Amino acid sequence: MTTHPADTAVRLESVNKYYGTYHALRNVDLTVAKGERIVVCGPSGSGKSTMIRCLNRLEEHQSGTITVLGTELNDDISNIEEIRREVGMVFQTFNLFPHLTVLENLTLAPMLVRKASRAEAEEAAMAYLTRVKIPEQAEKFPGELSGGQQQRVAIARALCMKPEIMLFDEPTSALDPEMIAEVLDVMVGLARDGMTMICVTHEMGFAREVADRVVFMADGEIVEEAPPSTFFTSPGNDRTKRFLSQILAH
Amino acid sequence: MTATSHIDQQETARPAAWDWLRETFFASRLHAAMSLAGAILIVAIGWQLLDWAVVNAVFSSAGGPEACREASGACWAIIDARWRLILFGLYPHELHWRSATACIVIVAVAIASCMPVFWRAARLAALWIAGMASFYILMRGGLFGLVPVSEAKWGGLSLTVFIFSAGVLVGMPLAIVFALMRRSELPVIARTMSLVIDAVRSLPLVTILFTAAVVLPFVLPGWLQGDKLYRVIFGFALFFAAYQAEIIRGGIQAIPPGQDEAAKALGLSYWHRVSRIMLPQAFRNALPPTISQFVITFKETSLVIIVGFFEVMASGNAAYGTGDWRFAYIEVYVFIALIYFTFAFSLSRYGAYLERVMRVGKN
Repeated sequence: MTTHPADTAVRLESVNKYYGTYHALRNVDLTVAKGERIVVCGPSGSGKSTMIRCLNRLEEHQSGTITVLGTELNDDISNIEEIRREVGMVFQTFNLFPHLTVLENLTLAPMLVRKASRAEAEEAAMAYLTRVKIPEQAEKFPGELSGGQQQRVAIARALCMKPEIMLFDEPTSALDPEMIAEVLDVMVGLARDGMTMICVTHEMGFAREVADRVVFMADGEIVEEAPPSTFFTSPGNDRTKRFLSQILAH
Repeated sequence: MTATSHIDQQETARPAAWDWLRETFFASRLHAAMSLAGAILIVAIGWQLLDWAVVNAVFSSAGGPEACREASGACWAIIDARWRLILFGLYPHELHWRSATACIVIVAVAIASCMPVFWRAARLAALWIAGMASFYILMRGGLFGLVPVSEAKWGGLSLTVFIFSAGVLVGMPLAIVFALMRRSELPVIARTMSLVIDAVRSLPLVTILFTAAVVLPFVLPGWLQGDKLYRVIFGFALFFAAYQAEIIRGGIQAIPPGQDEAAKALGLSYWHRVSRIMLPQAFRNALPPTISQFVITFKETSLVIIVGFFEVMASGNAAYGTGDWRFAYIEVYVFIALIYFTFAFSLSRYGAYLERVMRVGKN
């Protein structure tokens, strides 16, 4: 698909990434337009997480180009923080700061990076906590919350930076089954509001409901890329079929 | 089933303390014999101690050393006679109030910095700068009409407290810098730093103090030397920093990598990640060994005796070493031990309090 550069959120062109001799990403091409919702799935070790971690340069790629919001990510980049503040990320293991209260977790970056005043930051933080339905937990420490609540706080923390793009790296994989729905509800709400989202997840129900495209990866390559309607009903690739039959069998 | 519950009822009917005593100390004949022997030993030693320290002791120095020689107990009279020497060393007699006030100021500042109200970098810095400045002005004089007293005459408890707090105050920031440099991604910096840390740790503290006091004047240009006291404090700080740096590094390594990634993903700069995410968690993780290091350092201040300072230990030696009271060294050392104990024990208890407040060991 072709889009006007100004409407492009993320563009990867023949990106390769190695860990030592291990070839983690092989000639990955992907373009995500602003406002698009992409779900990335595939067997473990297929490079899904590596790919989205390259988008805010938690991992560095070795060849090819990655362009995020019009800026190319390479060794010359002087201020990666300027890109990172526009790209929110939610991790599998939440990674909330355990020594800060929930409210402090949410206000830290807006105050330090966006130079917001404490009052502004706290007001925004409470608004996002209300949106993820846990404003009453503001004064607690992350360790006092359930996994689902922690992940919702993590989403709110990323949103407090008012990012243009949200990356989700298996956000529900570390959760007990009964807590997955509460996190997915928040993500669906976010998608409805038009946020640009790239989600690595195996939640196929979520993919069907909100994804514009589903990207299937295997062995570091993008094997198939299709809208959910086609992806689930008539996958073109054998590996996609095998993967789908495995995870949809249950 | 019914039999056991019957026994349980009988057991609970008796006083719990009696049960506990019997089970712990008199469970079998061997246990009973050992418990009895132990009890007799404790009572005997306790009585002996009480006899020596209180019953037959001489408390007033009015009778002079002779009164002590006649008594069979402890000679606390020497403390009565020489406490000023022990607490103030060679500091001029009529100016002892200045040394005492200076010492109290530092202890007060230390206690104040234990209060959560002051746990902001700016507040702590202001508190300690004010405290150290008042200490220096009080001890050194030469300002506000105070008679000047050179560092060579400082001594006793104030000197101990000053060397410790100044050493830690300089050493802690140094330790943080060392730890961060040791974790640097540039191999040159990381390797050099680990070499420096290992080198300092391989040297005995005595050697470092001796070098700072005696050797450095031959090497450094005059304007960089400063008084011997400050060179020794710097040596102390360096030694403290080498050990504390490794403690902090351990604390940093215990932080899950996801913490730094989350901070990076939010766009935080390196210094913000270090100061807001890494160090606060590293210090929580490293609190127990840090408190140990403080206690060890406090006790090691007594080593400055070898470069000619009259801190509390050296002053104590001088207090009994002048002929008349020569026999009463045990009492002097007991007194000094009590002083060290008071400080070291307070530090440890404060550490335990901090662990509770900071919820160490929880997520």
